[in-house]
Amino acid sequence: MWAGGITLPHSEVLRIMGVRKRYGQVQAVDGIDLTIDPGGIFGLLGPNGAGKTTTLEMIEGLRKPDAGQIRYGEWDLLHHQKVARERFGVQLQTSAFFELLRVDETIDLFASFYARTLPRDQLIDRFGLQEKRSAYVQNLSGGQRQRLAVAVALVNDPEVVFLDEPTAGLDPQARRNVWDSVRQLRGEGRTVVLTTHYMDEAEALCDRLAVMDHGHILDEGSPQELIQRHRPGAMIELDPSVPIADDLQLPSLQRVQRDALATALMTERLDETLAGLVMWAREHDVPLTGLRTRSATLEDVFLHLTGRSLRD
Amino acid sequence: MKQLFKVTGALLRTLMRNRQALFWTFFFPVLLMVVFGFLGNSNFKMHLLVAGGGSQAERKVVQAFEKIPYFHVQTKGKSAAIHLVKIGQADGVLVLPTNAATPPWKAELIYNSSNVQTAQQTVSAVETAAAQINLAFTGRPAALVVQAKAASGSRSSTFLDFLLPGILALMAMQNSLFGVAGSLTRWKEKGVLRRFLATPLRPLQFLGGVVLYQLVFGLLTSAVIVAIAMVFLHANVSLPVIPLLLVVVIGMAAFLSLGFVIAGVSRTEEATLPIINVISFPMMFLSGVFFPVTTLPHFLRTIVQYLPLTYLVDGIRGMMSGQYAPWSAQVGGDMLALLIWFVVLATISARTWRWE
Repeated sequence: MWAGGITLPHSEVLRIMGVRKRYGQVQAVDGIDLTIDPGGIFGLLGPNGAGKTTTLEMIEGLRKPDAGQIRYGEWDLLHHQKVARERFGVQLQTSAFFELLRVDETIDLFASFYARTLPRDQLIDRFGLQEKRSAYVQNLSGGQRQRLAVAVALVNDPEVVFLDEPTAGLDPQARRNVWDSVRQLRGEGRTVVLTTHYMDEAEALCDRLAVMDHGHILDEGSPQELIQRHRPGAMIELDPSVPIADDLQLPSLQRVQRDALATALMTERLDETLAGLVMWAREHDVPLTGLRTRSATLEDVFLHLTGRSLRD
Repeated sequence: MKQLFKVTGALLRTLMRNRQALFWTFFFPVLLMVVFGFLGNSNFKMHLLVAGGGSQAERKVVQAFEKIPYFHVQTKGKSAAIHLVKIGQADGVLVLPTNAATPPWKAELIYNSSNVQTAQQTVSAVETAAAQINLAFTGRPAALVVQAKAASGSRSSTFLDFLLPGILALMAMQNSLFGVAGSLTRWKEKGVLRRFLATPLRPLQFLGGVVLYQLVFGLLTSAVIVAIAMVFLHANVSLPVIPLLLVVVIGMAAFLSLGFVIAGVSRTEEATLPIINVISFPMMFLSGVFFPVTTLPHFLRTIVQYLPLTYLVDGIRGMMSGQYAPWSAQVGGDMLALLIWFVVLATISARTWRWE
């Protein structure tokens, strides 16, 4: 496959082995191992402060790990930082540029640092910045800034693209545009590594995921694998006013879980539990207010792995 | 090197678009020069009152003094005149006898004695004028005739001429401190620096680009200020360009290093600005920008003479006033002192500098 007449980048396997990083009293990253295969979208999922950004910045060469190794193919990145800088494209969480530089000038400035570059106009067109090419960075909207940040991350035709919270603070339409761009990067044969704390984003976008919390990798796999492993089956949700006892006996019911909005019945087999619930309700003359069923999501996986919701 | 220039070029471009910053860069120096320039250039006239009760003597004396350009003469009643002198509204009053019709008239000069210097000036000016007037009245040929002739090429050395070098030194300090410490902490805070670090651009190339930008900006603004002062405000100064450039560049290097020290220890832009003010304010007022260091009390002078701004002001003013020959030992001494400041501050900044 060819992209814009330019040969596809050949990305390599990224291996992170036993990497640690400490800031003062805080162990930000506590000995993580990851293998990121070339050509997919790899997501680091976790709440704020989980260590996602620190992990990304150590791979990018912006921070030095206290311990561990980071390898890209044959290269030890801790000793060959130039490899990372030349071949990786980086969009930081707070990608600020010179406020009074124009969009096209900003791309040109960054392009001047690299030996290998993509044509500027191609990047401007691709990220829908044609009308803003002569605008100062300070006059761009949040979504336009984000697109410029991704465009600048691509200026060196990178093999691996790192996107740190690429959709944070964007409206739904702008988020979907970013998702499309990210999928396009994968289509061009690049490896994409992104962080997010949005479950839907991780589920919709990522081929593989690592769930992170408190500097640890809790588990890793495709979104479906993670759901199968930690929350197979489905959930029956009811209004909290429905009198469900914690020790309610229903076929295939695993657990009852409560929060302010709903009482959830976790089940391995939705059909059996649901049938049992309906019978129980008829016997006890209980109206099943707010009844709905759904299959488990990453949100449930995260809740299971960390014992808390991502939004906490 | 190419990348370094790209950074410098981008920064210069953003500067040209920052109208507000440009305006303030020039506004205060020009304002200071205009205001102080007028103050320093105001024509000094001696305000002399004559109290003679409308007599013949009074008319003749007033006529005679009015011919002398540096007197502003007014007639007044005796007690009113003495009161005006006492409260400093007039420099002196010449009290004449009211009854004598012909000379000799015996006059009494009552002067304000609160300021020794003006008191002496008043007395000697009136005495000199009296001698001239006597000569004119008697018509006797003088034994010694002095003809005053201006020395060719002599300069008045106005206060503006004194101030301009101080302003240039002050700008070198302020632009360097705010430019480096202000911008770098802002870029650190907003993540601009880290974005550059994630490219093959090396940290020293980036910082080199920033320093070069500051030097270009500093020298251009200095040139504009000198041009404004000379063309529009008629400043009269010497301009040995090469040695002046050299001393300004070394001075800026010292202040840029100081800026890096501040940017290294400060985490946010809000924290940086007060630090800059604490450092620059005392130097602005003590280092001889607005008045000579020699007017300071002795104990202050012993400290102030070692401040970097003092050396910079001294070097620039020495050459612009023509007091120091461009490559003289005094200029060399100032340059050496600034170089030492530069080396010390640069060494400290290399240790305190943090990229985040």
